[in-house]
Amino acid sequence: MKPFGLAEPASLKDAIAMIGDADSGVRPIAGGSALMLMMKPGILQPETLVSLRGIEPRYSSIETAGDGGLFIGAMTTLRRMELSADVARHAPVVTQALRRLSNVRVRNIATLGGHLAHGDPHLDLPPVLIALRAKVHIAGRDGERQIDVEDLFRSYLETSLDSGELITGVTVPAQGNRKSAYIKHTTRSADDWPALGLAVSFSLDGDVLRDVRAAIGAATDIPQRLKSVETALEGKRAADALQGAGDAAAAEAQVHSDARGSAAYKRELIRVFTGRVIRKAMESAAGGTI
Amino acid sequence: MTDTKNSRRTIRFTLNGRPVAADIGLNQNITEVLQDSFGLGGSRESCGQGLCGCCTVIMDGKAVTGCLTLAAFADGASVTTVEGLADGETLSAEQEAFIETGAFQCGFCTPGFILMTKQLLDENPDPDDEEIRHYLSGNLCRCGAYPEIVKAVRLAAGKRRNA
Repeated sequence: MKPFGLAEPASLKDAIAMIGDADSGVRPIAGGSALMLMMKPGILQPETLVSLRGIEPRYSSIETAGDGGLFIGAMTTLRRMELSADVARHAPVVTQALRRLSNVRVRNIATLGGHLAHGDPHLDLPPVLIALRAKVHIAGRDGERQIDVEDLFRSYLETSLDSGELITGVTVPAQGNRKSAYIKHTTRSADDWPALGLAVSFSLDGDVLRDVRAAIGAATDIPQRLKSVETALEGKRAADALQGAGDAAAAEAQVHSDARGSAAYKRELIRVFTGRVIRKAMESAAGGTI
Repeated sequence: MTDTKNSRRTIRFTLNGRPVAADIGLNQNITEVLQDSFGLGGSRESCGQGLCGCCTVIMDGKAVTGCLTLAAFADGASVTTVEGLADGETLSAEQEAFIETGAFQCGFCTPGFILMTKQLLDENPDPDDEEIRHYLSGNLCRCGAYPEIVKAVRLAAGKRRNA
């Protein structure tokens, strides 16, 4: 890696004052596991890294609201989320996804904020958080804003964060009796980056699906909602709608061939796994499944 | 401390129980510093991507991927490598178990497996086979000693309980 300097501000405000835009050479670093992968081959060559490890502890905390909503600070490690009893209780689909996300060592280092800011479509939590209707909290020189997780991703490895903006946390709204599930499919080892990630969340009105939210990752350029699946399932009994939802998903998703499979193979994966993830959610306890 | 221009720094940390200092490049990872400044080869870069576990070190009680961890982040931390597990000539329970089970052929991946075994048993003293496989899924053994490795972890768990 090319030599670089390292700044270690003690507050979020100081960190925001230091970082510049993507061309400035001054870039933030949290755990660094994803960043190191880009710096080693020279894809990213920062002049200065601004470490966020010293900012206020609030950004490493997990807070629970009275209604079961969660705030997870951006500097919270993925391992801490995985072991959090509050996350397991209120958003068990997140805990389930984390157990097969990379490996223990990477989860010990990688943070939620870095996971999202990296913008890589192969990561597991974006589709899960989109399905849960989570919001990203963002702070910048002009103040704070919140956006839906699905609006964070603009194109491959590119987010909608502006110059000098940092992710400060994520809120997951209370899930109540909603059912959720996530399925990832890897084509090599079990903890490999996935060829496909599918997440779904819905309410059950008797045996009819309501307020369906479906999201895809890995197979597409960016993690995104599958609105045709949501439409195909809305107001239907799951047993009557699985085939149509799978066909709709395979038709909607724009997939490409890569090392994890051909486009045709991935379309077939999407067709099959859409039904499976809906069935998995149906079988889950309220709020999700572990 | 803010040091945006200088690309080198002196870090101080505890290495296998001893206080140490090292002059590092900020672009060095902890595995490079362990090798270059301290002559410790137990943590070795293999895949370079956090997949294989050969560079595992324990930092402040947590197993991390040494080749993806900036050495500067070890400043003030406590770092344990495989070289720090034995007490003089007395091997740790995990080391003994891997030898007695023959849980390796070439041995390149073994330090990482042994450190991950220690981490697993620190968190869960009596894991079943599924938990062992899950916890060690991020460590790769090209010789394919996995069945013996799972046995070694069970043996190490027994040795630690009886110690």
